[in-house]
Amino acid sequence: MLGYLAQRLGMMAVTLFAIVTLTFFLMHAVPGGPFVSERMLAPEIAAALNAKYGLDLPVWQQYLNYLGRIASFDLGPSFKYPGVSINSMIAAGLPTTLRTGLLAVICVVALGVPLGIVAALNRNRWPDTFVMFVATLGVAIPSYVIATVTLYLFALRLGWVPTFGLDDWRGYFLPVFALSGFWISFVARLTRSSLLETLQQDYMTTARAKGLRPGQVLFKHGLRNSLLPVVTVLGPVVANLVTGSFVIEQIFALPGIGRQFVLSITNRDYTAIMGITIFYAAILMVMILIVDLLYVWLDPRIKLTKATA
Amino acid sequence: MTDIAPNAWEKLPPEATASAPPPPAPTFGQEARRRLWANKPAVISIVFIVALVLAAFIGPFFSPYTYYKQDLKLANIPPAFETYTVSDGAGETTRIFLNASNFNIYEVDGQGHVLGLLRGGRKDLIQKSQPFTFGDTEVTLDYSRLPARLLAADGSEIRPSGWSWNRTYLFGTDQLGRDILVRQLYGAQISLTVAFVATLVNFFIGVFYGGIAGYLGGKVDAVMMRIVEIISTIPLTLYVVLLMVVFDSGLLSIIVAIGSVFWVDMARIVRGQILSLKSQDYIAAARTMGASPARILTKHLLPNAIGPIIVTLTMLIPSAIFIESFMSFIGLGVTPPLASWGSLTSEAVETLRAYPHQLFFPAAAISLTMFAFNFLGDGLRDALDPRMR
Repeated sequence: MLGYLAQRLGMMAVTLFAIVTLTFFLMHAVPGGPFVSERMLAPEIAAALNAKYGLDLPVWQQYLNYLGRIASFDLGPSFKYPGVSINSMIAAGLPTTLRTGLLAVICVVALGVPLGIVAALNRNRWPDTFVMFVATLGVAIPSYVIATVTLYLFALRLGWVPTFGLDDWRGYFLPVFALSGFWISFVARLTRSSLLETLQQDYMTTARAKGLRPGQVLFKHGLRNSLLPVVTVLGPVVANLVTGSFVIEQIFALPGIGRQFVLSITNRDYTAIMGITIFYAAILMVMILIVDLLYVWLDPRIKLTKATA
Repeated sequence: MTDIAPNAWEKLPPEATASAPPPPAPTFGQEARRRLWANKPAVISIVFIVALVLAAFIGPFFSPYTYYKQDLKLANIPPAFETYTVSDGAGETTRIFLNASNFNIYEVDGQGHVLGLLRGGRKDLIQKSQPFTFGDTEVTLDYSRLPARLLAADGSEIRPSGWSWNRTYLFGTDQLGRDILVRQLYGAQISLTVAFVATLVNFFIGVFYGGIAGYLGGKVDAVMMRIVEIISTIPLTLYVVLLMVVFDSGLLSIIVAIGSVFWVDMARIVRGQILSLKSQDYIAAARTMGASPARILTKHLLPNAIGPIIVTLTMLIPSAIFIESFMSFIGLGVTPPLASWGSLTSEAVETLRAYPHQLFFPAAAISLTMFAFNFLGDGLRDALDPRMR
């Protein structure tokens, strides 16, 4: 277990290094410096600014400095907001993003899995047709369309929920729904097909033949085995909830990291874009690692050393 | 055992035994086509996609408007409106409609063609009203209470005389007075172009990469797949965002950005297929006969892996459409005045409260297209690769 963990952490470090390198050189490939704007800076001021941020050094030295800072968990200063560090930007946005993201994950598991079970147990009857219809809708409609349409219907037309912000607990409904809509549908479809496959296995017949109660058969033998693929997609779910939050936080004006990221893009705040990308990547890799460990724990058949694939 | 008919043992006449040779078994392609045509949602999707492509690429030629022509006087006109009839006292009547969201009055004709914006008298900013004169008749637009009303000279409210579709701008106009229908069609053109070209780029990179990794195997395969693993650790949307920040936003850069990133799935699938196919006897036979690796790959391996490749391609198209619209939505896609479904949606969100119809069209268009490609992908998967069901 520990050896596996060490190997995975080593992989993560390599990946993170690759991402840092990639983002650094990508951002340096952008034409123009960070202080190029409509208002021309006096050459002395520009030189002073460049010296302050170490931009007068050769690129490789800047790169090494940046690597060194990243290693000590410092993502550097923002070039657009003087005196604001990327770390403080992320710290300000993290609670909002974390709360909506966590609620969305809970929704995905708490709605997607039961819907899939109901559909599988009622195969080809109306609950199945209904769930599959809704799931098809949910998979096809982009999250920002769900967000804007529900915003119009429930916030503007019916006035049940606020149009923006999270000051009111009802403000969570629409963003969380828009974030999780696709994945609820996806997980429901996955659970359904996986459970249908499991129900046909011989050990299910054996369990029934032993005289176990139907509930026991379903939960102990059926679900435990059919939920493994669902656990596998939870990693990508977290990843996509994160990127989904760019648009959702923008639409609902939630002060999270996603909105900050989009704002940095519009402002061309390159250090912020770099910093938030690296932060996202790190968080995601940790999440995927957790999911993989969970997977191993759930399914003892998987050998730890082979779980990297 | 006793009820066998006595004549069952008799010899059959010779012509009955020499039955016609069995019809040739349907080829893989025929079988797949039959299965696809039997799948109703997939067929409807194909029809929809063909119609959409035709409309997107030919439709704009039939429109008198262009995607960039602005007419601020005719901004934010809805696709349908309630008409009022006002007579000027000299036997002439004027048909007008009131845009309740920007308090403008437009003249329309009997068929629903928009003739123009009517200039009223001085706005009374305190009473929140504006007089309009039609010959001898004076009509007051009162917007002190919402919704706005039209009042006759004696203070009574004028009721609408009917309603009509907008025949000049079928889908209405946006906040700069551009025809929404034409912008929709141009948006479809851009979204579809990006999706198809980016998918094609993905296809070539993915097949090349996956084919080499799968065919060579061993250390090369391990290294190449490790790289794929690293790439797929972070969500591809982040890469696309980064690339779009580096490139200037525009049609070409978004194609390059999407095309250079989303090949990972394709590479994996091609590699898996090649790995399982390459131990087949006919590959060994080809190799024994001296076929070069390139020939084996292109003539023997890839054609046999074509089913899953096509399915993956069809599944890539909706995700490319989605990513493009997503990028345009957050302002990294095509540059205005060019439109794509994403930028149309984000423009519509700005005016959502007053003009919800502007949101309806792009949202419906992208959702329907995503549906069609999803159904088509499912249908193709069932038809080409029954094992993946």
